Amino acid sequence: MNIDDSTIQIGFTDVNKFYGAYHALNSINLSIPKGQFVALVGPSGCGKSTLLRTLAGLEEISSGTINVGGRTVNDIPPRKRDLAMVFQSYALYPHMNVRENLTYALRLKGVSKEIRANKADEVAAIIGLEDLLDRKPRELSGGQRQRVAMGRAIVREPQAFLFDEPLSNLDASLRVRMRKEIRALHERIGSTSVYVTHDQVEAMTMADHVVVMRAGKIEQQGVPLDLYKNPANCFVAGFIGSPAMNFIPGVIDESGESVTLDFEESPSLPIAQSMQPGRPVVVGLRPEHVELGDAQSCGYAAISISSVEETGSTTYLFSSATPELVIVADGSQQVRSGDVIGVKIAPTNVHLFDPETEVSLSNG
Amino acid sequence: MMGMKRIYKNQLLFIVALFAVALYLFPLYWMYTTSLKTDTAIFAIPPQLLPSSPQWQTYIDVWNGSNIVRYMSNSVFIATGVTLVTVIFGSGASYVLARYRNVWIDISLFTVLMLQVLPPSLMVTPIFVAFASIGLLEYPRIATILAFSAKTMPFFVILCRAAFMTIPRELEEAALVDGNSRAGAFVMIVLPLARNGILVAALLIFMQGFGEYVYSASLISDNRLQPASIGMTNYLQPNIVTWNSIMAFAAIYITPILAAFVLLQRHIVNGLTSGALK
Ligand SMILES: Nc1ncnc2c1ncn2[C@@H]1O[C@H](COP(=O)(O)OP(=O)(O)O)[C@@H](O)[C@H]1O
Ligand SMILES: [Mg+2]
Repeated sequence: MNIDDSTIQIGFTDVNKFYGAYHALNSINLSIPKGQFVALVGPSGCGKSTLLRTLAGLEEISSGTINVGGRTVNDIPPRKRDLAMVFQSYALYPHMNVRENLTYALRLKGVSKEIRANKADEVAAIIGLEDLLDRKPRELSGGQRQRVAMGRAIVREPQAFLFDEPLSNLDASLRVRMRKEIRALHERIGSTSVYVTHDQVEAMTMADHVVVMRAGKIEQQGVPLDLYKNPANCFVAGFIGSPAMNFIPGVIDESGESVTLDFEESPSLPIAQSMQPGRPVVVGLRPEHVELGDAQSCGYAAISISSVEETGSTTYLFSSATPELVIVADGSQQVRSGDVIGVKIAPTNVHLFDPETEVSLSNG
Repeated sequence: MMGMKRIYKNQLLFIVALFAVALYLFPLYWMYTTSLKTDTAIFAIPPQLLPSSPQWQTYIDVWNGSNIVRYMSNSVFIATGVTLVTVIFGSGASYVLARYRNVWIDISLFTVLMLQVLPPSLMVTPIFVAFASIGLLEYPRIATILAFSAKTMPFFVILCRAAFMTIPRELEEAALVDGNSRAGAFVMIVLPLARNGILVAALLIFMQGFGEYVYSASLISDNRLQPASIGMTNYLQPNIVTWNSIMAFAAIYITPILAAFVLLQRHIVNGLTSGALK
């Protein structure tokens, strides 16, 4: 993707953040064009919230620069950054009713009471809270509080929206619905959004651009499907996709065109590129890329199955050999534990990684 | 079986509690009854539990003859001053102690608690000398307010810090992002939410200030500026002690504050035990 400088809304350049000796953010470089929905995703404690909070101005950075709307904001306090944030706990002001919560930022800007009231009505209509404007936050359900938190951000028409795991306190079905609503809202308002989540499904389904973090570092960023298809390393490969990718050690064959797995009867899989013969590798296979067939047919490797989980639509198969191979199959497959089945993987779906550096060896 | 045992146990505890309450309230009861007795009835044996002929005149004499209004105004002045100084300086201090976590905060907290341990009678001499040298004794009530505020401050800071700690930091952060300064967020978000805790602590400080004795006794020599706690002792003369007058004085002195406490006790207990957000 080629990004013209003038459309960059948010930019991190070599940003580092230390808590004492702990390196919480490690050389972060990130450019977010105007109007883009970016998800920051990674395991708990990897520094996602810290990154978001440095952007909001709630944490100081140790080095580097942060730009918002073409302006360096390193030394600018949160109130002057013109960013709106939705907190995981919603952080609604308990002593104010919904209307006052929604328009608090406008009040601080000195907007008149009538305009504030109109704005509150307008936003309440967007988020569907018209009837609740006079309630206090404690009189609302979790989902309603979440909406107020969203509304409080929308009212401001800020440079960008920052979300810190806004859905993690909701139950599963509401979470799925709000996912769609937030995305629809983003499309309607068209403003830049930075969305922090530990849930890769949320990141993949909502975002235009996904940033995968681990231990304070950006491991990879790109459009969601690109991360799925071409993970840069084992971490990203294992983090994106569910169930997680299988990793099996292997060695490149004499021909350089296939890899022998250190697994059960040492099956050999054709690969999409030619590699140095004898090179040790880690082979990554996505559970949903394993094709089932007759164990005796040509091109299929035999694998014995130790357990089967059926959900109706899909069936999960687990190999008896270690490392355990997980296979996602169509729900119509009739496999029982103890069966020996044939498996095949298309060469383009065989991911190769360096065993030492864990970096991907597949060239796109 | 278990149920019966529990009931006995509860009844026993109830009786113990009643006994303890009676023990604590007895002096109060004795103050009110003595104030209404005649001189002879006070020393009657066996003692009268209730005065046979209540002497209301004693109250009228005390009210008219002992400058009690002046003394109580001084008490109110000192109590108000102590409360204002403690609340204004203590709120900021306890907020900082609630929000930051490091070695210096721990040391400050420990020092604050240490101050609570030192008795006023020990502190009063160095304070007297210090205040005399900077000329503060020219304003003895102000001197008393400052000296006693140093005593009430630790108690206030500890109560108030607990109130601030119940307020999630994210609320303040939301206010900062919404356009507040730190000070603005403190005033508009944190203070309103900690209000109950602060008010209750302030009320308790006011009551302490109202009854203050040790600093007033040593720092205020001018009779016209002394609070009621000192005024009461004017009745204790070497030869004649008019117990009924002293007790009437005491009754007038403490009844308002007692009434306030009884009226507000539910709020006080709530403010002390529950967080701001429930
Ligand atoms: N104020 C702080 N002081 C010290 N360490 C902190 C502080 N805030 C966060 N951390 C540490 O920084 C790391 C990243 O935290 P965070 O950004 O909250 O992670 P997450 O990705 O789960 O949002 C964690 O290991 C956390 O313990
Ligand atoms: Mg977090």
